[in-house]
Amino acid sequence: MANLVQEMKRTFADHDDFLILDTQFNGAAIYLIGFNTLIDFPKSNFYVRQMAERSASIEELLQNLGEQLDVDAGELKKAVLDGNLVVISENERNAIMQPFPQSLRRNIDEPRNESPIQGPLDAFGEDIDLNIGLIRKRLGTELLCHCSYQVGELVKQRISMLYIRGKVQSALIEKIDRQLKQIERDIETIDDLDKYFGHRKLSPVSHLFVTEVPFQAVHLLKKNRIVLLLENQPFALVFPHLISDMLSTANDRNHPLGLSIMIRTLRVMGVFITLVLPALYVALTTVNPDVLKIDLALFIAESREGIPLTPVLETLTMTVLVDLITEAIVRLPKSVGPTITMVGGIVLGQAMVEAKLVSNLLVIVITLMLIASSVVVGVQNALYIRSLKYPVFILASVFGIVGLISGLAIICIYLASLTSLGIPYMTFRYKGKEDIR
Amino acid sequence: MTQRLQLGFVFIIIHMSFGYLLYPKLTYSLTKSGHWGIVLSYGLLQLILIAIYKKGLNYFPQKDMIDIFLTMGRWAAFIFLVPYAINLNALIAMNIRAHAEDIISIFLIRTPYWAVLVLLFLISTYTAIKGLSTILRASAVFFFSINLFVIFVIASSSVNFQLQNALPAWPLSLDFLWNVKFLYLMGFSAILFLGFVPSETNLKFGQLTAAWLYVLFFYLSAVYVPLFIFGQETVTTFVFPMKEAADSVDLSWFVFNRQTLFFGISIIGFNLILNAVKLWMIGQIMQRLFPGRRSKASYWILAFSFISFLFALCVPNKAWIEKLSLMSEGTNVFFTVILPSIIFLYVVFSGRMRSYGET
Repeated sequence: MANLVQEMKRTFADHDDFLILDTQFNGAAIYLIGFNTLIDFPKSNFYVRQMAERSASIEELLQNLGEQLDVDAGELKKAVLDGNLVVISENERNAIMQPFPQSLRRNIDEPRNESPIQGPLDAFGEDIDLNIGLIRKRLGTELLCHCSYQVGELVKQRISMLYIRGKVQSALIEKIDRQLKQIERDIETIDDLDKYFGHRKLSPVSHLFVTEVPFQAVHLLKKNRIVLLLENQPFALVFPHLISDMLSTANDRNHPLGLSIMIRTLRVMGVFITLVLPALYVALTTVNPDVLKIDLALFIAESREGIPLTPVLETLTMTVLVDLITEAIVRLPKSVGPTITMVGGIVLGQAMVEAKLVSNLLVIVITLMLIASSVVVGVQNALYIRSLKYPVFILASVFGIVGLISGLAIICIYLASLTSLGIPYMTFRYKGKEDIR
Repeated sequence: MTQRLQLGFVFIIIHMSFGYLLYPKLTYSLTKSGHWGIVLSYGLLQLILIAIYKKGLNYFPQKDMIDIFLTMGRWAAFIFLVPYAINLNALIAMNIRAHAEDIISIFLIRTPYWAVLVLLFLISTYTAIKGLSTILRASAVFFFSINLFVIFVIASSSVNFQLQNALPAWPLSLDFLWNVKFLYLMGFSAILFLGFVPSETNLKFGQLTAAWLYVLFFYLSAVYVPLFIFGQETVTTFVFPMKEAADSVDLSWFVFNRQTLFFGISIIGFNLILNAVKLWMIGQIMQRLFPGRRSKASYWILAFSFISFLFALCVPNKAWIEKLSLMSEGTNVFFTVILPSIIFLYVVFSGRMRSYGET
């Protein structure tokens, strides 16, 4: 057996799925080497045999099969790890060929985290080439640029950056290019990548907006944004992330303008209600009952009659409980989820009210808030809006209406202070070409 | 363009913040008739000042006020700007203290004033540390939401208007022009803020005039809304006339008992932006005048806001607030007049020198 084959065998001795298949060609042995978990060996072998029938010599066969010929051992090992098939002949000639891969990818599917109504239903998958293809299919222009990177410490992972030339400032492209080339650690999650766009420890707002609908990604590309694609992540990561992403999707405009304005207004209301409602309940019951009309104030007081918990504790319990249930249902398998929903609904809706632990009014408030918080676009955005209600709530429980307003002011100021690579989060008119402010 | 618009928003907000508190009260004490005369002559005077200021600043398209003073010489910058920073600090203290008093009387009758002070100071300081661009961006949101509230308050209180309360409409005398209190009115201006942004990116004079007209319209409403409702005799007895005016309205279809609520909300919004801007100005002045490795604007802002917090904490009651506010406003008048004039004179003087050199 050839030395090269021996060496490969030694290197991959600990891999039980490593396979060396030897076949004959004109009396000489050739070895097909690769992982049988990545390569469909019978099909690939069949293909090699077919090629062999058409080739006169081993040299010709290798030329027909391989993309790269006669490379050194290091590159051969890398090729094997990348899922390629290595062909080595007895006289130490070798070639790397594209085999028939094992199908490890799911097909183009419907989006799981977003559900577009009246819009295209394809979603990004785990395969990065497929994702780029999905975008290219929609944007058939030579102005769509694609830069590819391989980063990571343990495993080189592919990251792709797409943008439309002339729509994005070249300085910004250079900046991101530099950031991406600097990456030395493994990029497993979106947050790992997020760190390279500036320090925002503990901030609920990411630099990257996540979408899994190609339609939306293409729309944002046209709106002067940059799209990043990570291998093995079924998302497009849009840079920069702006506040308007939370309130509008490309799909809205499949409706008439009036309706899409209505939908977006509802989303703004949703954000506002999520932030304000629990805080307002606490403010009105504890600190400022006097601002309400007397009959309303009495109604609220009546609904709280005989409830031992203070309004602050009551509201806090309920908001945390609702957040717990939401989180639990997300994690649970589809078969168990409904049980929890049902039990949770009964416990929250009925039992707690009948046991006089919380007031009827609070249950309504919490339900409204929960519904409102789900209105915004994107799971991540909904989560961060939900998390921001707590500071407002705490301030309101101390200062009443004043606390509520200053809480909202703080959130507004905080969001206004966020920038990613110099682009503020709170811009409503983002222009790529002009001076960014 | 957006930045100019945002600068305009901030300009309007900080003036509105001043206007809500002591401005109407001062106007009432100045005259018994024809209050618009005061507001408009004040407006004209300010506009002249703004023109002088802009004229001076425009000679240095890429420099802000601090740079201009530094080109005059370090001593000039020290002599004029350090006292100005201290004055600003006093203004912040009194302004927050007065606002706190107002907020307490609307919302938090049982809360001690230091608690409200802590809240307001924390938010203002945080905003100031985040810098001007944050203030500008936040101000757009504040501007629209607060203006809605203000318009709502004015519109709803029009139910109680009795127009004859403002009679006689014609100013009986122009004596107020020579009254010291008229000068105090000038203290309610924040035009110096404009000098902190290089004039290349700053508002043009025309845009500034438009913003100023908006402010004047608002000042007129702040003076006349209480006047229409209560009449001159009653209005002079109030500490916060606008609050009382909003309090007088009873909307039967509304959820809330008193629409003073909205007045209070707008006051909080105004106040936060105003004090953030002032603290930011202090930070800029101190950092540029005392450059050093450890001299960061945020440290200066923190230190000064702590000092003004202590100062505000020491003011015991409304009488003192009024007295001290007037004192700090009075000093502010001095700077509002002196600093633009000096820049203008410097330009004229050095320009003349240059032309002498050429001939």
